[in-house]
Amino acid sequence: MFHWLEKNPFFFSVGVFIVIAFAGLIEILPNFAEASRPVQGLKPYTVLELAGKEVYKKDNCMSCHSQMIRPFKSETDRYGQYSLSGEYAYDRPFLWGSKRTGPDLHRVGNYRTTDWHETHMFEPTAVVPSSIMPAYKHHFTNIADIETAYAEAFTVKAVFNTPYDVEGGVKLGTWEEAQKMALAEAKLITADMKNKNVKDAVESGKIPEIVALIAYLNRLK
Amino acid sequence: MNGLMIKALSFAVVLILATFYVVNSMNIDLSDPINMITMIGAIAIAVITAGVSVKYINQMKSDTADGKLAEENWDGIGEYLNELPSGWAFSFLGTMIWGVWYWFIGYPLNAFSQIGQYNEEVLAYNKKFEATYKNPSVSVLKEMGESIFLVKCAPCHGTTGDGLSGKAQDFTTRMSKAQILDIIANGSNQLSYPMGAMPAGMVSGDDANVIATWIASGMKGEKPVAFTACASCHGEDGKGMAGMAPNLAEYDDTIIIKTLEHGKKGKLGTMPSFKTMLTPVQAKSLSAYIKTLK
Ligand code: HEC
Ligand code: HEC
Ligand code: HEC
Repeated sequence: MFHWLEKNPFFFSVGVFIVIAFAGLIEILPNFAEASRPVQGLKPYTVLELAGKEVYKKDNCMSCHSQMIRPFKSETDRYGQYSLSGEYAYDRPFLWGSKRTGPDLHRVGNYRTTDWHETHMFEPTAVVPSSIMPAYKHHFTNIADIETAYAEAFTVKAVFNTPYDVEGGVKLGTWEEAQKMALAEAKLITADMKNKNVKDAVESGKIPEIVALIAYLNRLK
Repeated sequence: MNGLMIKALSFAVVLILATFYVVNSMNIDLSDPINMITMIGAIAIAVITAGVSVKYINQMKSDTADGKLAEENWDGIGEYLNELPSGWAFSFLGTMIWGVWYWFIGYPLNAFSQIGQYNEEVLAYNKKFEATYKNPSVSVLKEMGESIFLVKCAPCHGTTGDGLSGKAQDFTTRMSKAQILDIIANGSNQLSYPMGAMPAGMVSGDDANVIATWIASGMKGEKPVAFTACASCHGEDGKGMAGMAPNLAEYDDTIIIKTLEHGKKGKLGTMPSFKTMLTPVQAKSLSAYIKTLK
């Protein structure tokens, strides 16, 4: 049999492939299945948070910020508990990033608050005098794209079975319901904000990007 | 011993001498076991290389091949159907046994774990930290507090602790008039003091104004009569009756440690809780440092 394989290089290659692929499957698949399961208590993003995540992606925050706390004491001292893969289960795509010009943001919701973000995003040097982070003043005037965020949530619910509308979980509902819920969530955030224009916009039913972004940052815990 | 062997061994000797020369000129300490073992290894490599090459060169000169040829050949290159040499066969068998052991016992039970290494590192560090800072002196605490403050608190409270013009608590004074008026009007129940909640609206109008002005100016001068409404909890001197309610006269350990534990939402904004991010010694050190801010 082995002489036969030696005479038929094509089938020899197929045999080698099967052996290596089998070993790979055994090593990778169980681990993968285990690690991609959501950690207990993890909830999918609300529509407002997803809109904020879109802003985060659009303005490329991940080119300067990571969202991945590694298991080193120096990192857990500063940012908190190291990250687990199951925490990213509903991140499509995850925003790990690979460069830290600024600090990690995976648990920034634990130690920064709405009012702080408001000041910082408008003018970083107002709170951190030596900051080199750009100011994002346009977040205070641009209106967040709630419709795309709803479409995104609707899609992951339909395609990946992301658990929206389950008992005790995040409600998605119809587009009209989702709009109302996003606005209610936005009002809770603007209650802690000072910027008059942003407050007025939300009162009139529009949600500026900064509100969605803060909802997203506050959720990073 | 033939001439080739003599030549090879003398080459090995030259190599060894050269190695000694280099080791000597680099002042390498041969009493160090690692260096000594490396040196012995270098000598062994020189001798074995010389010996083995000579053996095979001699063998090539005289050896002839025999045995039965396999049927197929590759571009004229054939293969003998000889038995596997026993040395090879046994090592192959040994590898298979090792493989089974490694698959079922070796790897699963001894695998490297990043989290395990992290846990050990943290455990060792915490033990060291506790031993070093068992009874820290005040100056050590202040120093520790300052470095933690600059990393964790300065983005909100400012590097000098002045609260960045009203964005967070200003540690150079106890409380501003606006903050006190806000607390009097709205009450507060966030810090778990033994007295429980601070009720809303106990005084208002002029009384509130006078009390707030007096507390904000550091409780100097005549005590307003209306302060009796507050004294039952905060004490006649406003110092909080030894931790029953907040000390309104100055920062003390209780208010700082309770704020760090519970966080606080007030007139100025929201302060997050640092419960899981600081050890008790670190919280105490922050308190020691904040008390020095004037
Ligand atoms: C040019 C690189 C850069 C970009 C792009 C950038 N940041 Fe930053 N960011 C920084 C730096 C540097 C800091 C640290 C100084 C500071 O706090 O301002 C920082 C700090 C922060 C912090 C505070 C974190 C902490 O632990 O104190 C937040 C929150 C933040 N950035 C959010 C964002 C968001 C949201 C975006 C995208 C809209 C963004 N950043 C884009 C560089 C950047
Ligand atoms: C029933 C007891 C009680 C009375 C009476 C009371 N307080 Fe308080 N006060 C508290 C407690 C308890 C807190 C802590 C609140 C919390 O946990 O958030 C507090 C908090 C405060 C604070 C905030 C301190 C800080 O550092 O956060 C101020 C200022 C204050 N009280 C002023 C007053 C004044 C002025 C009066 C009189 C008009 C008064 N209090 C009467 C119990 C009382
Ligand atoms: C995200 C911003 C933020 C960070 C980070 C922060 N604080 Fe605060 N802190 C605040 C704000 C805002 C207030 C004022 C709350 C109010 O309106 O009464 C405050 C109030 C306080 C008070 C006053 C409590 C009282 O009622 O008298 C103390 C003490 C304090 N902070 C300590 C700290 C320490 C120590 C740290 C660092 C470990 C820290 N804070 C980090 C925002 C912050």
